[in-house]
Amino acid sequence: MRTFLAGLALAGGFAMQSIPAHANDAALKSEVEALRTEVAALKAEVEQMRAAPTQKAGTVSAAATPPALQPGSVAVANAVPVTPNSGTTSPNPGNAVGEGTTLWGYGQLDYNRPTARSADAQFDLSRAVIGFTHAFDESTRIYGELEWEHAIASAEDAGESEVEQLYIEHALAPSYGVRAGLMVVPIGLLNEHHEPTQFYGVERNFVEQAIIPSTWREGGIAGYGNTDSGWQWDIGLVTSPNLGKWDPTSDEGRASPLGSIHQELQLAKAHDVSLWGRLNWLGVPGLNVGAAFFAGKIGQDTSRQFDGDTNFRADKARLLLGEAHARWQSGPWDFAALYTRGTISDTQDLNLSFIGQPTPVPKSFWGGYAQGAWRALEWNRSSLVPFLRYEEFNTGAAYAAQPQGLGTPALPTQRVWTAGVNYYLNPNVVFKIDYQNFRYDDVLLNYGNRFDLGIGYQF
Amino acid sequence: MQVRWLLSAGVGATVVAQAAYAVQYMTVEQAQQAAFAQGSRFVPVAATIDTSALGAPSGWMPLVWRVQRDAETIGWFFEDAVIGKSELITYALALDASGKVTSLEVLEYRESHGGEVRLAGWRNQFTGKTAADAVALDRDIRNISGATLSCRHLTEGVHRLLQLYTHVLAAKP
Repeated sequence: MRTFLAGLALAGGFAMQSIPAHANDAALKSEVEALRTEVAALKAEVEQMRAAPTQKAGTVSAAATPPALQPGSVAVANAVPVTPNSGTTSPNPGNAVGEGTTLWGYGQLDYNRPTARSADAQFDLSRAVIGFTHAFDESTRIYGELEWEHAIASAEDAGESEVEQLYIEHALAPSYGVRAGLMVVPIGLLNEHHEPTQFYGVERNFVEQAIIPSTWREGGIAGYGNTDSGWQWDIGLVTSPNLGKWDPTSDEGRASPLGSIHQELQLAKAHDVSLWGRLNWLGVPGLNVGAAFFAGKIGQDTSRQFDGDTNFRADKARLLLGEAHARWQSGPWDFAALYTRGTISDTQDLNLSFIGQPTPVPKSFWGGYAQGAWRALEWNRSSLVPFLRYEEFNTGAAYAAQPQGLGTPALPTQRVWTAGVNYYLNPNVVFKIDYQNFRYDDVLLNYGNRFDLGIGYQF
Repeated sequence: MQVRWLLSAGVGATVVAQAAYAVQYMTVEQAQQAAFAQGSRFVPVAATIDTSALGAPSGWMPLVWRVQRDAETIGWFFEDAVIGKSELITYALALDASGKVTSLEVLEYRESHGGEVRLAGWRNQFTGKTAADAVALDRDIRNISGATLSCRHLTEGVHRLLQLYTHVLAAKP
């Protein structure tokens, strides 16, 4: 059919060229007029084919009657014809790499200056990310994000080079599909949308770093979808964190219990699997209310692994992390609140083997925050957005009971106020400044009042 | 010459549209039928577009139809595309004879995330808007958390089409 159309198009072209020289202007004009009408009819036909390639000609309704049937009304003026959109009319065509392949990216540079320990001031290229998609066909594509953290990654340097996401996505229908590969966990407000232009403040909020690790991803298979009434759902069967990785001598488990044991699909122990689920409601513009969970065994049968720790005593440990959030954006206002709580079961015997070490495994950990932002000024594509955030979190809210005298007291709950400004040079480039006030200092965990400056971008 | 170019562009677009990943929610015909009563005629309109004056990217060329019933113009219909995050969103906008938005439909969506712009509640925010309104995200159009770029760019697209209407189409005799 398309070949036929192309043939028609060519024929039309030749017809134009084959017009003989007319002495009579009026005759020429009428012929041109007739050709115009014909061309408009052809164009409408092409349009219909393009818009509804699967629709049979017989089903095209009267509402889309081609203009050729009303020759008198064809309004093709003496102007430049309006042509169909192709992929070349994008506002930023530089993103298109080749047919079906696009590139994007984001990055973040942070300066932190503790007010009481200015010697510890630090400027870091926190992350630079290159993302890509490639479409194999109309319903299947690959989605990937490659990340470099702390500027330089080598055996002698502190940086990391990582694959943050890599999955195949296959749409089964317009409103649902499946993904398989390495995916970010759809939990909270930040984990999926972690580009620096998307959050307030230089650093990501503490709750969504310490309780929900950031950026948290697992490998497996997941389903996603949404409904016309505004529900958005996700469910996944994925790898679990590995409690066998817990290091009772390190501070990592106190900074972020799950962050210290998630595996990021790096030769991940895969004896245990977890389930994730999320339900969001977006039915009212500006509102996002939802909840999510991540649940599964995390012991990975460590004591019975070929190269495992035979003294490991938490083969059956289970993780349950729940989360609920709400965000309301209206006019210049942007309010968000989130609460999350996690539990790890069967840690009593494991912690008993850690006695004398600084960091046992918590039985429960939790955090929450409330945040308000106000777009105070806006000019051209720039804007100035002051914000205020209050956070409470505890990475060791309770520990499994131990024999008298050997128990671990709960950690104190940390409280952080963050006040600052996001200055958007344009919606995709942001400069940030903020001040963070901590309830208590902890040098090992980088807790302490500080000033931050940041640069972020996304394309 | 122009006419031949137009036709080859049309055929080229057909092929391009087949190559990319796309979730099609609606065809142009379905959107036209949904927006206007049975028996309306859709007459393709050509217009000279000064893209810089409308703040549009160069090469921007939406499809425009004048919608008629008998000899009377009862509205306008547009098909256009904007970038969401990195992929095109194809959408259709319908205006009544006075240039007021009567419907916005997402025809095809290609991004991995942000497809919530097709939610009726979000699209209905545009109903009744004219070129005199701000039609700007976070002003008179609310955002969808997690779909910010798609919301912003689609809103900018509708804003451009309303400007096209008021400066070019409505200005025509």
